[in-house]
Amino acid sequence: MSAVVALVQALFRNFTRNRQGLFWSLFFPVLMMLVFGLLGNSQTVNVKLAVVGGSLAFHQEVAGALAKSTIFTVTTMTPAGALSAVRAGTQDAELVLPARAVAGQPAVLHLYYNNASQASATQAVAAVQQAISQIDLALSGRPPALTVTPRPLSGSRTFSYLDFLLPGLIALTIMQGSLFGLATALTRWKEQGVLRRFLATPLRPVQFLGATVINYMLTNLMNTVIIAGIGILFLHATVQLPIGPLLLSVLLGLSTFISIGFLVAGHAKSQEAVIPLVNLISFPMMFLSGVFFSLTSLPKFLAAVVSFFPLTYLANAVRGLMSGQLTGVSGALWGDIGGLAAWTVVCGVIASRTWHWE
Amino acid sequence: MTSQIRLHKLTKRYGTLTAVDDLSLTIPPLGVFGLLGPNGAGKTTTLEMIEGLRKPDSGEVWFGTLDIVRHPEAAKARFGVQLQTSSFFDLLTVAETLDLFASFYPKRLQTADLIERFDLGEKADARVKTLSGGQRQRLALAAAMVNDPEVVFLDEPSAGLDPQARRHLWDMVDGLRQEGRTVVLTTHYMEEAETLCEELAIIDHGRILATGRPKDLIAERMPGALIELAPDTSLPLDVHLTAMTALDRTDDAVTIHSSDLAKTLVDLVSWAQESSADLAGIRTRGATLEDLFLSLTGRSLRE
Repeated sequence: MSAVVALVQALFRNFTRNRQGLFWSLFFPVLMMLVFGLLGNSQTVNVKLAVVGGSLAFHQEVAGALAKSTIFTVTTMTPAGALSAVRAGTQDAELVLPARAVAGQPAVLHLYYNNASQASATQAVAAVQQAISQIDLALSGRPPALTVTPRPLSGSRTFSYLDFLLPGLIALTIMQGSLFGLATALTRWKEQGVLRRFLATPLRPVQFLGATVINYMLTNLMNTVIIAGIGILFLHATVQLPIGPLLLSVLLGLSTFISIGFLVAGHAKSQEAVIPLVNLISFPMMFLSGVFFSLTSLPKFLAAVVSFFPLTYLANAVRGLMSGQLTGVSGALWGDIGGLAAWTVVCGVIASRTWHWE
Repeated sequence: MTSQIRLHKLTKRYGTLTAVDDLSLTIPPLGVFGLLGPNGAGKTTTLEMIEGLRKPDSGEVWFGTLDIVRHPEAAKARFGVQLQTSSFFDLLTVAETLDLFASFYPKRLQTADLIERFDLGEKADARVKTLSGGQRQRLALAAAMVNDPEVVFLDEPSAGLDPQARRHLWDMVDGLRQEGRTVVLTTHYMEEAETLCEELAIIDHGRILATGRPKDLIAERMPGALIELAPDTSLPLDVHLTAMTALDRTDDAVTIHSSDLAKTLVDLVSWAQESSADLAGIRTRGATLEDLFLSLTGRSLRE
């Protein structure tokens, strides 16, 4: 046992003293958080808007005018249908027109939206408010009198892009830290003969592998805490922190990407070979798995494929828990946890069968 | 008291290449034993099978009564190993590296003593990546000693070292021998084999060609003396000189093997007078391991 402890300590020191490695695993995500979280709020969005109620003529006028804008995809719905569609995330927001409202007359339009499902909820609200006042002006020829009141469906807080980005970046950091970090380090040690030298001692292979797994779990948990801490304390991201379910999701994500790391390093013969291989696996996930933007903005068939990616499961689980949409280990979280567990088992089994020490 | 190492009909293949071919060998306890041969002769593969690092395709390896093929961990605990390319974690210090390796063994020497013994005091808290070639070599030796091993294996220990560092290494190997350890090393430097090794196995194409004490091997197999002439000497290949046993012509020299140096020289001088050949640069010497290897394989150790 003391051999494993000593090895974990050695691996941990070797990790924390590697400045270049620390930059990529820690400062890089923080930098992205700063750049995208603080400057990235001006992206164009598509808002799926359910329009409900109002007199037939006024409803058609408003819906027709909204549909002309490229920002909105407008559907006319019943109040009950619209509410469940917004809750389920198939519609981004529900705009309720009061029965006797007409253009030019003061009236309040309620805009219901699901504050956990869309990164750009505040933008969507602003876009609807702006569009309604333009429609009001165009229809009545007088200063706008209609007002839009945002009504978030779960909780009353406003939802910023940073709140969306932070859980995604945590998932991304876990992937990069364990997949990229582990695969390149293992290949380097293999190439330099570090592993062979360990094998020439009574240290058993399983002890070395166990120590490596423990080290990558520890260092990545540390990274996760630091990145979440910076996001919450310094950049004021608003998130929930259900520690138990979060820890479970993060550990499963780690075991998934550690297995993939062993799988890749078991095959690659050199440093030069392993980096392109890792990038081939991680780049599509980095950009498609919902780290920076929601899967709903992808074409349907692509989103269907991407939903099976390990990073998608991890990002969904972490974001669901941190946004408060998922509470505890229940419902949708089981799907993500099951997906990660399946990836861990499949990659772990293949890795253990194909692993080579040389 | 340590035991002998016995290799019995050991074979290892990589694909179609037979690296070690039905090799049997006994390495006596105590002293320095050398595996001498050119690159690719199968020295490293043989050594790694003794170390318990590589499984033979067939054959047995015994350390006293311990079956190394079946119980490599038990053997590894009593061995110290320096691999041909051993590296350590770049960002650990020398002392941390030795402590790490010590933690793998039940029996340990003090890190501070090893650091002092292998002259690493100045570098004890320096990271491995800042070490010079000679310092790395000494760290590798110190790491091979953390468990106070009965047998120390050194794979090409002097490769890439400058002459001074090589001399230093030889002193350290001699120190290991004097402490009553067995040292098994591979080399393709005949000076190293002649200076360090009490006993040798000459190996090529995965087979043992000869074993014995260096001096005995030369005396038995290469008796007499050698006469070396400049490579452009016009001596015909079918020349008959008294007491000449062989004639080699390489790019470097024409070499006459003689069982009676005086008689051969007299004959050679009279041939030179008759054919007015130039004998400038002529010299005589005793045979070396290099000559023995050449006569056994028809090629040089350094090829």
